[in-house]
Amino acid sequence: MLQYVKRTLILLIIFMLVGCSLSSSGEEEKGGKELTLLFSFPTNTIDPHLDSNYTMVRAGVGETLVKISEQLEIEPWLAEEWESKDGQNWTFKIRKGITFHNGKKVDAQAVKASLERAIKDSPAVKAALKIRKMEADGQLLTIQTEGVFPQFPSELVHPNTAIIDVTEKDFDKKPIGTGPFKISSFEPGVALKVERFEKYWDGKVKLDKATFSFNEDANARLMALRSGDADIIFRPPVENLEQLKEEKVKVESVPGLRTHQLIFNMDSPYMKDGNIRKAIDALVDRKEIVEHILNGHAVEAKGPFLTDFPFAPSYEEKKGGIEVAKQYFIQAGFQVENGKLTKDGKSVRLKVLTYSSRPELPLTVQILQSKAKELGIEMTIQQVENIDEYLADNDDWDFATYSSLTAPRGDAAYFLNATYMPNGALNYANINHPELTAIIHQLNQTLEANERDKLAKEALKIIDKETLHSFIVHPNIMVAYRDEVKNWVTSKSEYYMLTKDLDVVK
Amino acid sequence: MIQITKRFIEFMLFLFLLSFISFILIKLVPGDPIRRMLQVDEVSVTKEQIEALRDELKLHEPLYIQYWYWLKRFFAFDLGHSYITKQPVLSELLSRFPATMMLTCASLIVMILISIPLGTLSALYKNKWVDHISRLFALVGSSIPSFWLGLLFIELFAVRLGILPSMGKGTVKHIILPSLTLGIAMSAVYVRLLRSSLLESLNEDYVKAARARGISERRIVLFHVFRRSLIPVVTNFGMSIGSLISGTVVIEVLFSYPGIGKMVVDAMIRRDYPVIQGYVLFITIFIVLINIIVDIGYRYLNPEIRLKGVERR
Repeated sequence: MLQYVKRTLILLIIFMLVGCSLSSSGEEEKGGKELTLLFSFPTNTIDPHLDSNYTMVRAGVGETLVKISEQLEIEPWLAEEWESKDGQNWTFKIRKGITFHNGKKVDAQAVKASLERAIKDSPAVKAALKIRKMEADGQLLTIQTEGVFPQFPSELVHPNTAIIDVTEKDFDKKPIGTGPFKISSFEPGVALKVERFEKYWDGKVKLDKATFSFNEDANARLMALRSGDADIIFRPPVENLEQLKEEKVKVESVPGLRTHQLIFNMDSPYMKDGNIRKAIDALVDRKEIVEHILNGHAVEAKGPFLTDFPFAPSYEEKKGGIEVAKQYFIQAGFQVENGKLTKDGKSVRLKVLTYSSRPELPLTVQILQSKAKELGIEMTIQQVENIDEYLADNDDWDFATYSSLTAPRGDAAYFLNATYMPNGALNYANINHPELTAIIHQLNQTLEANERDKLAKEALKIIDKETLHSFIVHPNIMVAYRDEVKNWVTSKSEYYMLTKDLDVVK
Repeated sequence: MIQITKRFIEFMLFLFLLSFISFILIKLVPGDPIRRMLQVDEVSVTKEQIEALRDELKLHEPLYIQYWYWLKRFFAFDLGHSYITKQPVLSELLSRFPATMMLTCASLIVMILISIPLGTLSALYKNKWVDHISRLFALVGSSIPSFWLGLLFIELFAVRLGILPSMGKGTVKHIILPSLTLGIAMSAVYVRLLRSSLLESLNEDYVKAARARGISERRIVLFHVFRRSLIPVVTNFGMSIGSLISGTVVIEVLFSYPGIGKMVVDAMIRRDYPVIQGYVLFITIFIVLINIIVDIGYRYLNPEIRLKGVERR
C-alpha cells in the first residue's frame, strides 16, 4: 500500500515540476521593449464598435476622428480639421498619409464605411451620432445630422466610433485599425497582445510589443505588478499604496471625469422643496468623504464637471453643517421639538437608495444618515442591485446616490441633455425646470464655442442655485507602474493608454 | 433499442421543460438589457430611443411569444446572438469551453492525486499521525475560501519564488495555480469521504473472510475494499465535474482565466438573455451526459448492480 502512496506522491511531484518547467509553444519570452498593462475590466470582444471597454482605442490599435486632450479640449486626430456653418452639415477633412495596419489608405470613403458599420451594429453609437447621411469625396467627408447638433464633433470622441477597415473580417478578434499598435492576438477575457505598427502616421512608436490584459480582482492586479507579470496596473488597492511606493513603484492619482452625486426625486413630497434639497446638500461633508472614505484620492465636487473644463463656472462657497441644514429645514416648514425636527408634529423618514458596485457610495450615505439623525430625521437606506433600472422603474424613493461620467467626450451638452431635459434618459428625478430646459435647448442650437460655454455656465448656475442635484466628489483614477516605465500618462478620460510615446527602460 | 429511444425521448422532454422554465425565470428577474446595450451612462439617449430598440428586439411581446421565437430558432440549431458582442451564442460558448474543460481536468487530477493517497492512508492508519494530518488538511482545506487560497499561492509561487505566472492562459504553467486552488479545496471533501467509505468497507464480512483465507492485506485493500469504497466517491465526482464545468467564477476572476463561468455571470449582469439561455441548455446536456457516465461507472465498480440486471433478464 505504501508503495502505491509513494508512487502517487512521485507522480504529484513530477506533475508540479513538469508544469513549472514546461513552456508551451504559445509562450513568448519577453524581448526588446515590451510591457504589460493590466486593466480592471475584462472584455470578450475587441470589436471597436461594440466593445463597451473601448479596448481597441485604449490599447492604441484604433483611433477616432477627434480626441479629447488632457486639458479636456477637443483635438483633431484622424480628422485634421472640420467645420460647419449651420451645426447640421459638417465637413471633416481626413488627414492624408494615414494607412490601416493592412497597408490600405485611409480616405473619406473608408471612414464613411467604418462609421456606417458602427451605426448599424451599435444602437448606442446610432443614438449618439444622430447621422442622417454621409458623403465621401477624396479626403473630405460630409456629414448631415438629423437636426442642428453643435456638439457633434465631441460625440466623435466616443471610442466606439473608432475607424477600422470594414473590408476585412474577424472584427471581434482582429480588427484593422490605424493606431501605433497592430494586433498580434486576442484571448477573450484574458489579454490583447499588440506589436508596433512600423508605418504609423504620427511618428516612431517606442515599444516593440505590449500586452493589454485584464483582471477584475484588485489584489490579483497588485500581485501581478509585484511579481513582474504586469508593468502598469489600474486601480491598485488603496490600502496598499504606501507599501507600493516602497517597492520602486510609482503611483499616480488624478481626478477623473466621474462625479458622485445625490439625485433628488422631484416627485417626492419632501424633495420638491428646494430648502429640503439644500438642507440635505448641507449635510454632505465632502471633506470627510474625501479624507476618510476615499483616503484622499478624490477632489470635492462643486458641480457636475471638473473645474478644468472651460464651461465650469466659478461657484460661490457654500456653508455646510448640521446647523445650516437645520435652518433650511425650518425654512421648509419643519418645527423643532425637543431639539428634533418634525413636520406637522410627525417625525420625518426619508428613503435613500444606494448600490454596492461603488463601495464608497453606501458609506457616504451612512455618514449622511448619522448626521440627519442628530436632527431627528430618519433615513432608511435601501441598497439596490442595479441603480439605473431601479430609478427608471420606481418612484418610491426620496433621494439616491449615483455616479456618472459627466463629460466623457469633453462637452457639457451630454450631461445637461440626459439629466435635465424632461425626456432625458438619465432624468430619473423627473426634473422639469422650464428656464433650465430653455437654456439647454438654446445650447443645443448654438454653434459658437464661447457662446456654448456661456450657456452651459448659465445652466450650471441654475442647477447650483436650485440644488437640483448635490454633487459630492470627483474620484481619482489610480494607476501604479514600475519605475522602468517611461512617458506614462494617466489619461483623465481613461480612453488613451498604450501610446506611441510609452516606453520602457530596463 | 427501445430503452435508448425511451431515454432519448425523456431527455428531450426534460430539455424542453427546462428551457421553458429557465426562459421564464430569466425574464422574470428584474433587469433591462436595453439600458445595457445603449450604455445610458455614456451616451445621451432619449426614452423614445430605448423603447424603439425594445420593439426591435421584440422584448415588448408576451413571454410565450418570445419563447416561441426562441424555440423556432433552437430547432434550426440557432441559439441566437449575444446582445452585447453580437456573436452567435453557440460559438461564444464553444470558444470558452476548451479552457473550462482544461481547468476541470487539471483540478480533478490534483484532487485525485491528493485525496486518494491521503484518504487511503487516513483509513488504514486510523488515529495515527497520518490520520490526524489528513483530518487537519481536510478541516483547513474546506475552511479556507478558495479566493484566499489562490492569493496565497500567487504570493508564494509568482511573487516570492517567481516560478509561475500569477494569471492568464496559454501555457501549462498558467493552469497550475488555478487547478491547485480548486483541486485542494475539493480534495478536502474527498479525503473525508474516501476515509469513511474505506473504514466502513474494511469492517465488512467479506474482508474478514478474505483475511481468513490468507489473502494479503495489500491485495484485499487494492482489489476489493478500495474498489467498493469508490462508489460514494464516484457519485460526488459526477457532481464535482458538473459544478466545475458550469463555472468556477471566483477562480476565473482571480487568475484571469477565461472560463465559461465568468462569461455567464457577465451575461447575467448585463441581462444578455440569449447567452444565459444558451448556457443553461449547453450545461444541461453536459451534466446529463456525465450522469450517464457515472451510471456506467457504478455498474463497473459494483457487480451487484450489474448482476441485478442479469437476474431480471
